[in-house]
Order: sequence, then C-alpha cells, then structure tokens
Amino acid sequence: MLKKIEDWNYYELLSVERTASQDEIWEGYQAALATYRGGSLALYGLVSETERDAILGRIQEAFQTLRDPDKRKEYDLALLRRAPYFPPQAAFRKSVGKLEIEEAPARKTLWDRIKRLFVKNP
Amino acid sequence: MDKRIWAIGGGKGGTGKSFVAANLGLHLASLDREVVLIDADLGAPNLHTLLGIKPSHPDLGDFLTGTVPTLEAAAVETPFRNLRLVKGTENILFVANLAHYRKLRLLRQIRQLATSNVILDLGTGSSFNTLDFFLSANPGVVVTTPEPTAIENTYLFLKSCIMRVLKLYMDHYKIRDLHQKMLDQIEKNSQSLYGFFKSLMETDRSYGTILYRALRGFRPCLVMNRTRGEDDVLLGRSVADVVRKYLLIDMKYLGAIPFDEDVPAALRGLRPYYIEHRGSPAARAIRQMSEELAYSIEFTLRTPPEIRLPDV
Repeated sequence: MLKKIEDWNYYELLSVERTASQDEIWEGYQAALATYRGGSLALYGLVSETERDAILGRIQEAFQTLRDPDKRKEYDLALLRRAPYFPPQAAFRKSVGKLEIEEAPARKTLWDRIKRLFVKNP
Repeated sequence: MDKRIWAIGGGKGGTGKSFVAANLGLHLASLDREVVLIDADLGAPNLHTLLGIKPSHPDLGDFLTGTVPTLEAAAVETPFRNLRLVKGTENILFVANLAHYRKLRLLRQIRQLATSNVILDLGTGSSFNTLDFFLSANPGVVVTTPEPTAIENTYLFLKSCIMRVLKLYMDHYKIRDLHQKMLDQIEKNSQSLYGFFKSLMETDRSYGTILYRALRGFRPCLVMNRTRGEDDVLLGRSVADVVRKYLLIDMKYLGAIPFDEDVPAALRGLRPYYIEHRGSPAARAIRQMSEELAYSIEFTLRTPPEIRLPDV
C-alpha cells in the first residue's frame, strides 16, 4: 500500500510482522538502528540527514512501545480500529488446476545465514 | 517449457556481476539443469574469460549482424556439462550502440531459446539497452559491494529501472504528458516517488493505480558481494529495506558473498572459481542463492511485468 514514511506504523518501521515475538522485535530494532545510524552506508545518496534523524526518532518510539506488553496491546487495538489485520498467508503451490495450501516452512533468520557464511566447515 | 530468465546487473562496474553470473550458471548446470549464459555486456564482454574459455566465433555479434541465423546457433557448448555460452562480441563499437530493432530481436530470441534457464550478464550503467534486458528477466539480480560508490550507483540504477518501467507503461497507455512531470518530481528528494504517486492518485486514480501496479510488479533481488564481516552482510539487508521504503519496490535480499582472495588467483589462472573452490564460503553462498532462485515458489508463480517496448 502506498504510504508516506511518516505514516508507516511501528511494525512496518521495524520491518517485523504484527505477530512478532519480543526477540524478533529486538532483532528488527537492531537492524533498523544499523540502517538509520549516522554515517550509514545504506542511506548514501538517497536519504538526507534531516530525514534520517526523523526516522531514527520514530524507530526509538516504536521500540519503546512494542517492548512493553501493555503499550503494545493498546497500540495494536488502535491499529485494528483503523484497519483490519490479516496475518501472512501460508506458502502455496500450484497443483493440477487448484491451489493447495502447504504448511509454511520455518523461516531461517538472517543470523542463521550469517553464521553459515562465515563458518569454514558447517 | 517452464523458462527462467535471470539478469545479473547493477549500476557500478567491478562489483562482480560477471563473477556471480558465471558461478550461478556453473552451479545450476551441475544440478543437471540446462543453462545458457549470455554475455550481454555489450561494452566490455568477458564472461568467457571467467569460465576459462578463449574468445571465438560464433558470438553475440555474429547473431546481431546476421552471420548466424538464430541466437540458438550462437550458443556454443562449453567444457561444462549442461552449460552453453553466448559469448560477447569484440566488435564493441558496433554492438554497444545496439539499434532498437536488433534489441527487440535479441529479446525475442532469448525467450525462444531451447533451454530451461537463461542467465544474462549485463553491462554497467543505466542505458536503455541494459535496463530493458534487466526488466525482461524474472528476477533481475542487482550485484553491489559494501562501498559508498557502489551503493550510490545501485540506487541510481534502481531509480532508472523505475523510471523506465513507468515510461513504458505511460507510452503504452498514451499518457506521455505524465513523463516530464515524473522526471521533474523524482529528482527532488528521496520521497519524491511517493509524492509523484500521491499527486497522480489525487488527479487521476485509474492511471495512478495502473502505474503503481506496474511498479510493484518490478521485484528485483539484491546480492552484496565481497563482504568482509557481519556489518557488510547486514548492510545488504538495510539497502533492501531502504529500497522498499523509499523507492516503493519490493526488493528481496538474496544474501552476501564473502570476500575471497582466491577469486583473483582463479581468474589469473583462467580457471572457473566455482569449480576450483567448491567448499569455500563464497561458493556455498552462491549455491544457496542459486537454489533460492531456482526453487523459490515466488519466482515460479510470478510473471515478469508485461512490458511493451515502444516502436521507434
């Protein structure tokens, strides 16, 4: 959906699902901090310092809200009042003329991949 | 035949596009899949060197000049089972400025190749030729390195792709007056693409929806090459995230290829890196990416955006 950066909700800012666990939120927060920290290469040539500061402020706000179960519940309710939420669908594959739902495979986290990359003999 | 066409591109030279293309091809061929590698780097072709093959004829230039009748005939066997190669041409002056009708013929023949996998190794820069080859693939893979120059050129390349996609749709729907408006607005700042769509949705929602859908149909992948640590690997994820948020395109981060000192040594010895160093972390990363591209449901069910090139 077409949205201005200022209108992204806290989950979208941290690039996590609404059903994310506390660990996933922490990981998303760390990744967002790495993306929007001062001198970040990821923003080079695209995002100005002023914009970066504004986003970083919202990321802090997002983490403070989502890490606290009470505040998160309140925030989720406020989001639901604005628009319904549909959880991500399971992976599906094309079969003979119909779509069959498969059990979604467990997603490998980025950390698992990084560990694999730098291990000599896994 | 279920055909997969991958294009390996990117804005900056020397990021390892040909290295990635050659090694993806070698791995895929080793899985008993028929692969045709096409050296579409029209300005500086050297894919054959990465495979340890000497330049010879027929090549892409022979097809483009009509010396061989079809692209199929220009795809020569390599010493590697299941892998064929369309070599780049040395007739650089002629081919780098590819005429429009020749480009259309080449694109058509790529789709008609009798193979299940085609990998296009593209040249540097954002010329219309390069962009059109990149956009004709599913997916296009952008290769970058963890350096500011490479990141800057990656964004520039993606912006050029976006403008090309939108322009092709504008031409098709005969809404060319929007093109100048888009160019004026997109150059303003990072959120200008959002601004363009927002104002378009307010003035003409139907065209806004068509163009936004076209933009969302463009879903490239990103590879971060020559990484030297976790920060560099995470940088790839950050870049893909920034692209999703600011350029409004759904970019997938395929992963990182760790820096390996054996790569230049393999190149100097004219030996394919993947064959010589199968157990290295870089070869493992290439295997993982190749399998993700080859077996992902996402790329099986997804069709590339329908793009009709304007007749010039």
